[in-house]
Amino acid sequence: MVATIVSAASTKYDNYPESSSRELFGEAAAEAFDGIDLTPADLDAVYVGNFMGDLIEDQGHMGPLLADHVGAREAASIRVESACASGGATVAQAVQAIEAGAAEAVLVGGVEQMSLADIAHVTDALANAADDVYENEQGLTFPGIYALIARRYMHEFGVTQADLAAVSVKNRNNAVANPLAQFQEEVSREDVLESKPIATPLRLYDACPVSDGASVVVVVSETFATAHDLDASARILGTGQSSDAVALQDRATITHMPAAERAATAAYDDAGVTPVDIDVAEVHDCFTIAEIVALEALGFYELGEGARGAVEGETALDGRLPVNPSGGLLGKGHPVGATGVGQLVELTKQLDGRHPNQVDDADTALAHNVGGSGASTTVTILGGA
Amino acid sequence: MPAWFDDFTAAIDAHEQECLVCEACGDRTLPPRQFCPACAATELTPEPLPDRGEILSYTEISVTIPKFRGETPYTVVLVELAEGVQLTGQLREATADEIELGDEVRLDTEPRDDGLALITFHPAST
Repeated sequence: MVATIVSAASTKYDNYPESSSRELFGEAAAEAFDGIDLTPADLDAVYVGNFMGDLIEDQGHMGPLLADHVGAREAASIRVESACASGGATVAQAVQAIEAGAAEAVLVGGVEQMSLADIAHVTDALANAADDVYENEQGLTFPGIYALIARRYMHEFGVTQADLAAVSVKNRNNAVANPLAQFQEEVSREDVLESKPIATPLRLYDACPVSDGASVVVVVSETFATAHDLDASARILGTGQSSDAVALQDRATITHMPAAERAATAAYDDAGVTPVDIDVAEVHDCFTIAEIVALEALGFYELGEGARGAVEGETALDGRLPVNPSGGLLGKGHPVGATGVGQLVELTKQLDGRHPNQVDDADTALAHNVGGSGASTTVTILGGA
Repeated sequence: MPAWFDDFTAAIDAHEQECLVCEACGDRTLPPRQFCPACAATELTPEPLPDRGEILSYTEISVTIPKFRGETPYTVVLVELAEGVQLTGQLREATADEIELGDEVRLDTEPRDDGLALITFHPAST
């Protein structure tokens, strides 16, 4: 039973301090249902990825709240929380429900409203994804955790800050052509290297911004699509998910990401493909170092080689494997619970041939979504309809 | 802070810090644990933990959470104290410019709020 995406939509990722999760989610869902012969009343379930609604908006219980706000009050609804991997985990849950025959039509969405709080409180809320006692209470921040990974990685593999900056330059410059991206201005390597330090060796432009936004995909079984005469935009060929220790200090290694390797292996096996089959990828680049270690964990590069992707242009739009043509988290923005679903929205457009940064002949695509500093990871592989 | 961490930091203060060693596989870990993270065995025995270790990584933090507002910049180090046992803490008596990966540091604690809540490391030479 292959799960099929029949519609995909996303708000622009940006700061909307006058908005709310219910409005953003409703906006994305309205666009997704516009133009397809399906109504929210046909949904069996609404799954919502969301990380910090209770911390920023004082709003938990997002499943039924948002199901109600998209006209599906009676559908089975649940919020899925796995920190910044909430969106990817939501997709995995929906695919499993469809493959198990428990649901035939699911609205899979993610939403985050972060800009209501000042930066210190957003940083504090994000810190909930780390080990509170052994990390936060010791003064470690989320950028700080990735900075520890970056420093060690640079030491072990002879990578420079300029090499890290190449990731930010690539992704932010990809974002310029994407109308849904938060950042719309080109940056140079000097801009990144001269931006203010946040947690050495990482600087402001090594980090993704604070974002608001919502993304949804309508996922149905193939038989449901046929019965309702729905055109498929993409097929979900495989999913994988794995975990690791939450605290960096409890990991066997901090310079690579075993949970991502396990998630990728499971997704490749499920889909019956290998890394060389992937035509385009959206990977979780919350910080520049994150994209580098992700490319290694996903099997695109050997350990210690991942920086080559951006530095040598191999992951550029016209490279052998375009990575984050959407702009990624660095350029497109990172409304935490929405990001994993937003990656699928971008890749569905790639497979449909209607992306603003269209990759030629894209037929197989990969999305990689990380929670915390690597403690939870999902990988989703899509194929063209 | 939770009681288990109060016990952990009080032991450091008394120079009696311990880790947990798995009787089945020998994996070392930090409290509190009921299951070995490596093999899921439940026979975990406290053993002395060295008070000196090597800096695996470090970062100087300029943007922080509300709890540490007004204290930036400060340096956080990730230190390996024994094989498989790493601990995160704030660097004292040196700045990020004065340390390198591999340097030896000494474990300590500092009071914060009502208890010994902060793990700290000092250059081993001080």
